[in-house]
Amino acid sequence: MTDELDLLKRDWQKNEANLPKLSYSEIHKMIWKKSSSIVKWILIISILEFVLPQLLYLLPPMKDGIAFYENIGISKYLLVASIISYVVAIYFIFQFYKRFKEISVLEDARNLMKKIIKTRRTVKHWIIFSLSSIMVTIIIMVIGVFLSDNIADAFPHLREGLQNISPEKLRLTLMLSIGGFGSFLVLFMGGVYFLLYGLLLRKLKKNYRELKQLEI
Amino acid sequence: MNKELEHKFVTELQDNQNIVHKVCTLYTNDKDSHKDLFQEITIQLWKAYPKFRGEAKFSTWMYRVALNTAITLYRKSKRRIATQDYESVIFKIKADEYDETEEQQLKLMYKAVRQLGDIDKALVFMYLEDKNYTEIAETLGITEVNARVKMNRIKTKLRTILNP
Repeated sequence: MTDELDLLKRDWQKNEANLPKLSYSEIHKMIWKKSSSIVKWILIISILEFVLPQLLYLLPPMKDGIAFYENIGISKYLLVASIISYVVAIYFIFQFYKRFKEISVLEDARNLMKKIIKTRRTVKHWIIFSLSSIMVTIIIMVIGVFLSDNIADAFPHLREGLQNISPEKLRLTLMLSIGGFGSFLVLFMGGVYFLLYGLLLRKLKKNYRELKQLEI
Repeated sequence: MNKELEHKFVTELQDNQNIVHKVCTLYTNDKDSHKDLFQEITIQLWKAYPKFRGEAKFSTWMYRVALNTAITLYRKSKRRIATQDYESVIFKIKADEYDETEEQQLKLMYKAVRQLGDIDKALVFMYLEDKNYTEIAETLGITEVNARVKMNRIKTKLRTILNP
């Protein structure tokens, strides 16, 4: 076998003459092209993950929601929860930035992969945190509805239409729909996230495992 | 200053472009992907160039960046149309230089190497480039002993591919 590999080595070195030759201007043009490396994709996806949930609050239904929270008496809990989540988000953004900066193509292959995986793990923890905080918000809302004395008051503009519905039925419907919608949102966002990263990092993880296995 | 750096970089890369082409040949299957990977390696080299202080040879420094890009950073593009026997375009095996069995053997070897995984290819590539085990180990971030063990495993693997 060694002979065959050496045969290949001789041929490999001989074949240099047959390699393509790029001109100065062809190479010069390339240095200004945009990179499409996975590190760049991780950066783009992560920024989206930090920004998108914040945009949800700009939607009109969410603004109406604030009045609704006040009416069912949970707004102060939600205020505390959102302050906590902003503090945590700032912490995560800082951590992400620090790890992202540490990624260098000049590292050895194993370290480079390790740092990329570590950076992604920061984002993963952020996602888990933000999905659980959505879950907590949903639970607070469901409890708020459950404990509220007169649920129809929460919808001042719908009061007339709601008069025919029994408060118990309204309460149950509301709890089920908030819970159902919340669970769907969390599962959907979680699913998209894990699918996206799973596909993006499949190759990298496989290669990293291979290098790591060597050390055992 | 920047123009000067740019000029220096492009000239050095142009002189050493063979290294990048060889990496691309091993890691891609068609001309478009070859070009894609070449471009990504060029971008990564250029981004890292300000940190290159000449402590190593430019070519030595290139191996690490090029392999890191191929193994870790590069996302294979969707267009993976199997083109006509790509390796024969790059590695034109001249029939008159070899006897038939040797030519046949080489063809099979190239084919077998292409079937290896990314890490294995990196080891074979550095072996073919006459790098020693210390360099191979340092580039991949493994110990020298493990690099040797891995290389032996690859040889066994190639043998199985060649003689199923």
